[in-house]
Amino acid sequence: MSHRLSGPERKESILAAAQGLFARKGLHGVSVDEIARAVNVSPAILYRHFASKQTLYTAVLEKFSCQRQSYVDTIVKHGTSFEDALAGMTQVYIENIAKNPDILRIELHSLLEGNPATLAFFQNRWKSFTDYIEFGLNETLPYNIPHREITILSAGLMFQGMIRETLIQKCLQPQDRLVDISLHELSNELVTLFLRSIGINKTQLSRKATISG
Amino acid sequence: MSDFDSELDASGLNCPLPILRAKKAITALDAGQTLRIIATDPGSVKDFEAFCKQTGNELKSSGEEDGKFVFLIQKAA
Repeated sequence: MSHRLSGPERKESILAAAQGLFARKGLHGVSVDEIARAVNVSPAILYRHFASKQTLYTAVLEKFSCQRQSYVDTIVKHGTSFEDALAGMTQVYIENIAKNPDILRIELHSLLEGNPATLAFFQNRWKSFTDYIEFGLNETLPYNIPHREITILSAGLMFQGMIRETLIQKCLQPQDRLVDISLHELSNELVTLFLRSIGINKTQLSRKATISG
Repeated sequence: MSDFDSELDASGLNCPLPILRAKKAITALDAGQTLRIIATDPGSVKDFEAFCKQTGNELKSSGEEDGKFVFLIQKAA
């Protein structure tokens, strides 16, 4: 049979298997028995590490939330200009999902399942962008433009939709016509288009807005 | 009197906004002066630790007051 794993190794293997299953079938589509079977342990052993399926699901989400430091890197490295920071953050976010598309799959499942805690978790990830955009526009848009508030809110929505759809097309259902464009190029182009649409004309966004590594 | 030179309220803002605003606020300070930051994002605790480590500014204190996170940062010389 398989060699004995240490406690932490066992926990890690359960988490990895659970992540893959949740990504394929969503929270409700997976049973504890199924996860236990996937790592060749009994449900009793699984419960020793995770009190419930929900605890396990939360642990998978928590593993995803360690990208924060990268935003700090972005802000410290790139100037404090609105566009540079947005480009840097987008790059970090997109690269993170490309490395681990399960995050996106779990997010899409959670939208259909409507679990409030999970929805809040993912919404909070997008909030970094929508807050940032809304805050930036609030400071820069003239006060007398019509529908100012709707414009600001719509800009956040537009950005979220644009990035999410790009990730779906690049990471979940690869399209032939996008195959030769790297995520890095796409990300820069999308941010440039977005900035242009909200009136910030920066034709040549710093092509160096890459996060090293 | 107050034991800081400038204050920034980043309540309700998500990462990276508190960091970004702190970075701007610190630019306006002289070396050795301190900035007090109030934030509500729980992630800001780790964020400001990382921020100070990377920028060389000193995180004089980091704590919780009335359910909010309060940081005191001294600008590096």
